[in-house]
Amino acid sequence: MKKVTVQEQGLGEKVVRHATAIGVAMKESVYPLTATVFYPRERKKMPDNLRGYLMFDPDKCISCWECAFVCPANAIQMKAAPNERYYPTVDYGKCIFCHFCVDSCSGGALKTTKIHDVAYKDMDEMLTLTEEMIEEPEIIREDKKSVEYVIDEHDLHLKRVREVDTLFVEVTPPVEIPMVSQCIDRASCIGCRVCEEVCESGAISSSIERGVLRMKIDTDKCTGCGLCVKECSMQILRLVKK
Amino acid sequence: MIDINTVITGLGIAGNQVSIPLVQQMLDLLPEIPMVKLIISFILWKPFFAALICPGFTTLGILLLFFPWIERKLCGRIQWRVGPHEIVWWLGGIIQLLADSLRFLFQEVIVHKDAHRPYFLQFPFLTFIPALLPLMFIPAGNIVAIETPYAIQIILAIICLFPLFILGLGWASNSRFAFIGTVREAFMYFAYEVPFIIAVLAMIVLYGTSDPVGIANKQTIWGIILNPIAALTFFIAAAMATSRMPFEIPEADQELAAGPHVEYSGIAFGLIYVLCYEKAYVLAGLMAILFLGGGSGPAIAGLGDLSGVIWFLLKVVIVLTTLFALRTIYPRYRLDQGLSIGWGALLSLSLIALALSIVLVQGGVI
Amino acid sequence: MATAIGESEWEVAVPEKPLKDKVYFENLKAKVIDTNLCSRCLTCAAICPGGITVVENKVDFPDYENQCLDCGACVRVCPRFVYEPKSGLGDYIDFIAGRSKRFAGQDGAMVTELIVSAIEMGMIDRGLFAGRDDKWATEMFHVRDPEQLAITSLGGTKYTFADVLPALKEAVRFTKRGVGVVGTPCIVSGVRKLQQEFPIFREKVKLVVGLFCTENFHYSDISKFLQEKGVDFSKLIKTDITKGKFIATMSDGEKVKFKVKEVEEIVASGCNVCTDFTAVESDASVGSVGSEKGFSTVIVREGNVREIISYIKEKGYADFGDAKPEELDYLINLKKGREKNIKRD
Repeated sequence: MKKVTVQEQGLGEKVVRHATAIGVAMKESVYPLTATVFYPRERKKMPDNLRGYLMFDPDKCISCWECAFVCPANAIQMKAAPNERYYPTVDYGKCIFCHFCVDSCSGGALKTTKIHDVAYKDMDEMLTLTEEMIEEPEIIREDKKSVEYVIDEHDLHLKRVREVDTLFVEVTPPVEIPMVSQCIDRASCIGCRVCEEVCESGAISSSIERGVLRMKIDTDKCTGCGLCVKECSMQILRLVKK
Repeated sequence: MIDINTVITGLGIAGNQVSIPLVQQMLDLLPEIPMVKLIISFILWKPFFAALICPGFTTLGILLLFFPWIERKLCGRIQWRVGPHEIVWWLGGIIQLLADSLRFLFQEVIVHKDAHRPYFLQFPFLTFIPALLPLMFIPAGNIVAIETPYAIQIILAIICLFPLFILGLGWASNSRFAFIGTVREAFMYFAYEVPFIIAVLAMIVLYGTSDPVGIANKQTIWGIILNPIAALTFFIAAAMATSRMPFEIPEADQELAAGPHVEYSGIAFGLIYVLCYEKAYVLAGLMAILFLGGGSGPAIAGLGDLSGVIWFLLKVVIVLTTLFALRTIYPRYRLDQGLSIGWGALLSLSLIALALSIVLVQGGVI
Repeated sequence: MATAIGESEWEVAVPEKPLKDKVYFENLKAKVIDTNLCSRCLTCAAICPGGITVVENKVDFPDYENQCLDCGACVRVCPRFVYEPKSGLGDYIDFIAGRSKRFAGQDGAMVTELIVSAIEMGMIDRGLFAGRDDKWATEMFHVRDPEQLAITSLGGTKYTFADVLPALKEAVRFTKRGVGVVGTPCIVSGVRKLQQEFPIFREKVKLVVGLFCTENFHYSDISKFLQEKGVDFSKLIKTDITKGKFIATMSDGEKVKFKVKEVEEIVASGCNVCTDFTAVESDASVGSVGSEKGFSTVIVREGNVREIISYIKEKGYADFGDAKPEELDYLINLKKGREKNIKRD
C-alpha cells in the first residue's frame, strides 16, 4: 500500500506560510474580490450554447423521434399534432438538461435558450406542451446589469456591464451535408421493396421485367432522410455523401 | 421630605461615581428635577455601571447583536463572498441578527420525547451563569463591578465551569449526535484547559498580582511583548475554547450536525447560538487585560473614566475579530489533530511561557 | 463492411412462381407448409421482411393477403421448396470420437468444445446456442465468452425446435469476425440455402455444426406428452434416446423410460419426410452414435473444422478415440427409408 506522506517543512518555512495565509486574509478583507452575482438584480452572461430551456420550431421538425429515443431521462414524449405528425413535449420534472435531444435533432428544430431559471407551481405544469415550446416564454426580469467572469492570471474578477443580455439564441443552421441512399451489397437484396414503400420523396422505384426486379434510387430526388436505411431488412442500404 | 443627597450618601454610592467631564455640567443641572439625580447617580455608580453598561449587559447585548454580522461579513469578504446582504441591503444586511433572533423567538421549542425535559429546558438558561459572571470581575479601564485580588482566578474557575453546562446540554438531549458531540467537547475541554490555565498562570507570575486593575496598571510594556509565547498559547486555547472554525470539533456540520445542541430549536437554540460569542467576549476581555494593557491608552480629552472603557472595548474588538477571522484562514482540524495540538505543542508552549515568566521575574525585568 | 460508395441501380433475380396469381407466401404455403413438408427450420422467418412466424406449431403468416410484400425471399431460401433429399454419411475428411475435458455435456460435449475453441482461435466471435428456460422451452443464447457457458442448460439435446435462424440473422448483423451456429440437419440446410442466396451469410457464417437427428418434437406436444407420463419439468435435467428407449432423467436420480414407438405419434410432421441423419451439408456433424459411452462422434467435413480439431489437440482440450462409422448405418438407413413418405407431384 502506498502511504501518503506530508511534505516535511522546517519551522521557518511553516512560519512563512502561516504569515502568507494571514497576509492574504488581511489583503482580502481590505480589497476583496467577489464571486457573487446578485442574481435577480443582475444576471451572469451565459455562453450561447448554455444547456437551458428548450425551444422548438415545428417547421424544421421531421418527426423522426430521435429526441425521444435519445433522451436518457425519458423526459421527451412525442404527441400527435392536429396535422397528423408527432412533435416532442418535454417534461421538465424529468429533464436533466443534457441536451442530447438538441445534439441529435437532425433538422435543427430543437434549440437552446439562455434561460436557466425555470420554475413551476406544480408537477403537472412541468410537462411543457409543444405549443408552449414554440413561443418565447414570458419572463419577468429584474436585472439591469449583466456580469461577465474575467479570469486573469491568478484571480477571477466580475465585469459588470449596464446592459440587459438577451436570453434567446440565434442558432446558425447546421451545415447540411447532402447525403444519398445507396445499396452496398446488391447480391444480398431480397427484393422486398420496403425501401420503395417507406420513401417519402419517391426516389426509389422498381420494375419487374421477365423475372428480374430492377431497383433504382433517383439520386436527385433522394433527400437523404435515411428512412430506407433504417427499414431495410437486410441492412444493405447506406447513406453516403452525394 | 427626604433629601436626595442624604439618600445617595447613605447608600454609599456618592464617592464611587464614573466621572465624565464632558457631560458633567449637564449632569449638574439635572438635580433640579427630583428623582433624576438619584437615578443618574445610581447609573454612574461604578459597580452598577460595570455590571449594567460596560463591560456588562449593554455592551454584551450590542456585541451579540452585531458581532456575528461583523464576523460573517468579514469572512465573506475574505472568501470572495458577500455575507448577509438581503435584509436592509443598503446597509449590507446589518440587522441580520435581529431578524434571526426574531425568528428564533417565534419558533416553537421542540422537546423530543426522549429528552430529559427539565434539564433540556434549563441548561440553555443556566449556561448564562458562567457566561455572565466573569463580567463582574473584568474591569473596563478602572470600572469594575467586584474588586478582589483573586479576580483572575475566579474568572478562570468560572470559565472552566463552562464545558460542564455544554456536557449537560448534550446529556439532556439524549440523542446519539448530541452524545458524540458532547464526548468530543469533553475531549477538547481537557486538551485546551491545562495549557490555558498555565498560560494565565505565567502572566500572574510575571505581574506578581492577580488583581486585574493592578495588572493593567503594571503593564508599562504590554504583556504580549513581554511574554509572546504565553499570548500565543492563550490565543490558540481561546480559539479552542470557543470551538470556532479551525477547532470546530464538537459541532462538525458534516458528521455530527450541530453537535451537543443538535436537538434544540427556537429561542433555546438562539441562546445556545450566542453562547460561544459570550465565551469569546469573556476570553477576549481577559486577553485584553492580561496581554494588551486593559484600559490603558492615551486619555481622550473630556471623557474621563470612559476613555479607559473605549480603549478596553477597542482592544476586545480587535482580539475578537482576529479570533473569528481564523476560520477563513485555517481549515478545520480533526479531533485527533486537535487533541495532539492541545496536549503536545500547546502544553509545551505554555510550560515554556511559564519558564520565561519566571526567568523574567528573576531577571528583574518587571 | 461498408464500401465507400454503393450503387443506385441494381437488379434482383425474382424466383419463379408456381402459382402465378398468388403472392409468394401462398406459394410456399401451398407447396411446403400445407403438404407437411415443412421442417420448421424457420429459414423463411429469418429472411422475411414481413411477418412469417410460428402459429400453433406451424409456420404461418397472419394477414399475408395485406402484409406480404411479395418479394419471394421465403421461397428462395426454403430448403424444401425445391426439395432435394440428402441422405447417407456424406463426404468427410475425418471420422473421430472425442470427449471434452473442459465441458460436461450429454456425451462428449464436443459441440460446445468446437464452438468455444473456434471463439478462442478467433475464427468466430460468437456462437449461437439453444438454451432452455425452467419450463424446458428453448431460447437462444449468443455465446461470446466461454464463461457464459456456466449456464448449464446450453449443452445437451433439447428434443424440441429452437428458433436458431431468426437469431442467426441478428447475430450476422452484429458480428465482426463471424458466427458459429449449431443445429439439426434441417437448420443446417437452411443456413446453406441462405449462404447460397445471400453473400452476407457467406461472409459471416464461418462455422456450421450439424447434429445427428432422427426426429424432433414441437414443444407443446412433447411437454404435454411428458406431463402425461408423469415427468415434472422443474426436476428434469436430461433427455436422451438410447437403444430404442426415450429416457428422461430427473434431478433426484429417478428415470422415466418408455419406448420410442410411443413417442413417434407426436413426431413433427416435417421429420417424416427428412432423410438426412448426419447433417450432410454441415462443416462438422456431431452425435453420440458411433462411439463409446462418454464420447461424441465427430464427422469432420471441411477444412475449418480440421483446423479447430488440430487446435484442440494442440491445447489438449479433449481426448480422442476411434469411432465406428458402421454403427451409424442402422439410423441412416432408417431415415433413408422415409424417402417413400415424400409425395412427388
